[in-house]
Amino acid sequence: MTGPVLVAIVGGTILTVGPQGTIEKGAVLIRDGKIAAVGRDLLVPAGATVIDATGRYVMPGIIDCHSHTAIEESVNECSDSVTAEVRITDVIDHRDVNLYRELAGGVTTLNVLHGSCNTIGGQNAVIKLRWGKPPEELLFKDAPRGIKFALGENPKRSNFRAPGPPRYPATRMGVEAVLRESFQEAQAYKREWEEYEKKVKSLGSRGDKPIAPRKSLRLEELKDILDGKVYVHAHCYRADEILMLIRIAEEFSFKIRTFQHVLEGYKVASEIARHGAGASTFSDWWAYKMEAYDAIPYNAAIMAAHGVKVSMNSDSDELARRLYWEAAKAVKYGGVSEVEALKMVTLNPAWQLGIEQRVGSIEVGKDADIAIFSAHPFAPDARVEQTLVDGVVYFDRAKDVAARTAPATKAGGSP
Amino acid sequence: MSPEAARRGLAVAAMAALWARPAAAPAARTEVYALVGARIVTVSGPTLDNATLVMRDGVIEAVGAGVPVPPDARTIRADGLVLTPGLIDGFSGTGLPAPASRGPGAGGATAAPPSSPLAPQAMALDKVRVADALKARDAGITTVLVIPREGVLPGQSVILNLSGDKAEAMALKQPAALHLHMSTLARQYPGSLMGTVAYARQSLDDAIHYRDEWAAYERAPAGKKRPRYDAALAAWQDVLAGREMLVVTAFRENDVRRALAIADEFRIKVAVAGAPQAFRLADLIKARKVPLLVGVNFDPPRPARAFGGVLGDEEKERRDIEDAERNPSELHKAGVSFALVSAYAPNFLAGVRKAIERGLPREAALRAVTLGAAEALGIADRTGSLEPGKIADVVAWAGDPLTKDAKAKMVFVDGQLYEPEEPAPSPSPKAEGGGQ
Repeated sequence: MTGPVLVAIVGGTILTVGPQGTIEKGAVLIRDGKIAAVGRDLLVPAGATVIDATGRYVMPGIIDCHSHTAIEESVNECSDSVTAEVRITDVIDHRDVNLYRELAGGVTTLNVLHGSCNTIGGQNAVIKLRWGKPPEELLFKDAPRGIKFALGENPKRSNFRAPGPPRYPATRMGVEAVLRESFQEAQAYKREWEEYEKKVKSLGSRGDKPIAPRKSLRLEELKDILDGKVYVHAHCYRADEILMLIRIAEEFSFKIRTFQHVLEGYKVASEIARHGAGASTFSDWWAYKMEAYDAIPYNAAIMAAHGVKVSMNSDSDELARRLYWEAAKAVKYGGVSEVEALKMVTLNPAWQLGIEQRVGSIEVGKDADIAIFSAHPFAPDARVEQTLVDGVVYFDRAKDVAARTAPATKAGGSP
Repeated sequence: MSPEAARRGLAVAAMAALWARPAAAPAARTEVYALVGARIVTVSGPTLDNATLVMRDGVIEAVGAGVPVPPDARTIRADGLVLTPGLIDGFSGTGLPAPASRGPGAGGATAAPPSSPLAPQAMALDKVRVADALKARDAGITTVLVIPREGVLPGQSVILNLSGDKAEAMALKQPAALHLHMSTLARQYPGSLMGTVAYARQSLDDAIHYRDEWAAYERAPAGKKRPRYDAALAAWQDVLAGREMLVVTAFRENDVRRALAIADEFRIKVAVAGAPQAFRLADLIKARKVPLLVGVNFDPPRPARAFGGVLGDEEKERRDIEDAERNPSELHKAGVSFALVSAYAPNFLAGVRKAIERGLPREAALRAVTLGAAEALGIADRTGSLEPGKIADVVAWAGDPLTKDAKAKMVFVDGQLYEPEEPAPSPSPKAEGGGQ
């Protein structure tokens, strides 16, 4: 019999992003992948692996609420504007080296989304960066289901030329119509199944069982959205389309969990807050297409000031490695407090994904997903020294540097 | 009659047609052969020197040293020759016309008409050109599984034994399996890998619904609306019922996992073809006993990458090809049983030799193109080794089989002798899915 696996991170400044605030010269005790104790003057149990974080900063693992990392082949099923049946979990590429590179940026959890080609795209995968594990072991167990929506130029295919006739919808009003038609169809589908189930129930064990309606994987998913079982992550830019989607969602009595990109969110921040949605945005990307012209770097701060739970996302394998600096920009633009800015890459995206009870802060009982920085993560020279997922070190800068200078082995470096 | 029953009826009719072969030309030939003095590589048992093999009426009658030659046999001295079972290409385009999209050089006037890329009901048997298929015998290939390369659901394959003058007469197993290529379609659903998986899942769900709908109707048709016949959904029924294998063509490592996930969700029998990186999942494949048809089409091992892939990553392409080439030897080292198949490589045996160069022992390679292939395809009870009672699919080689200098001098298929011309015609590199 083996005992519990114990890890102790000692001596560092702990940015808990939780009720315990910042702890100087503190310690985090990890037991079997969960945080067992956080504080000063903790007794390190015998047999614990000790990580000396003296002079370093310890923060919760970073969560990227908009990623396309580790998707094998196309991120879009573009052949139809509604493809709620396709699943990112079917196409996780666990050997994508970007998973490792993002660990090197302190990232521990990703919201891997279908692309924005479709009004209603595919189902997402929330994954942990357990580099080296097979696809099924990357999945964030029990994370709520989610789906990608998209509004504006991408689903109406404004900036893309493909041979053949243009795909419906080709306008913003078309996108709205596709949403409404889809959920009307889902309502009819739901009724059809409810009637069938009622009939089965009333028959009991008597007589010929009626034949079940055809199971449509697409409509099943839409039905589950109507039933509030699926978090909607909606790619959007303009204020008018954000309001449009809120109206559609309220018409059909479901919630948008996050508006993604949402560069004009500052114009309708109160409306987003009133709906109860979060916002996952870029710090300062703008003007890369017409609908992104009205962006301002104060967007995150303004939305946060109106009570919206805001996160900074990457939408990029490359930017994902520096999300802590994206968070820092909210301090510069809009004067967000240090801890609120940290929340934008930890606790807020955790809430947006419905996993805030599990990750997003350094608190007893949560998963030991932790990034250890050489300096305060908002400092310009900060870099990640170690990243832990479930208490296991998946990135260690010292080892990585050593491996870079070691003689190349014949076999490749991937696991 | 339910569509399934109707379909099975057709299959029976096809078999009846097979049996009803008129006792014409083939039957008039010598039906008993004795090959004397050869080295016999039985594959299933020990290799025998200076031994005799007797074939009667298309079946192996006796194998061994000192086996008496029956008085009615045509005796052929085979001193210095090596006998092996006929080679099996368990996943090929043998006898299929080149696809139209390959351009005028390869296709031209003989190009196949475009067929639906999502047609599980399509029969490869209907597309086979006998004269083209028979050319594979020049390389010592006696048995092939044929399935079109294009599409996502290209239909159902046939296993042909390469003797006879009509495709129907050559069918050893028809249909052999239903096929799913883990590929995508252009400007059509499914246009992404995740779409292809979703399409397969929905197809199986629809097939279950179709089965239940018909079963309920058959139980008590009175007062019910007649269900609609659907050829595509009818085609899935044998797979659902466990009577037919779904062969999933894997281009990527995780396609093997995707195939197994489908097998688990729908409790169906799945085999994997292609699988250039299968060795990375050797333990899983072994544990799950997945019939594995490993491709020797090394260049390129996977289709061009779609949007979202890393373009121009030559280093990765090169590593993928290296992986594919050592895949068979790594699988062998890991103790996985598998078939080696052409997977549309223009020269099957050149691919097999490449696998040998990369460390696969020659005996293991021979097994993988005979008995191993027969096992993976579920026909090892009738062919794949030189044993009494099995189909007389036998090749007499000059030179060591599977070496560059080996020549098939005599090829017996169903006990019918075929002698490749001298010199053996050189394989055309342009021939799509040629048997060699």
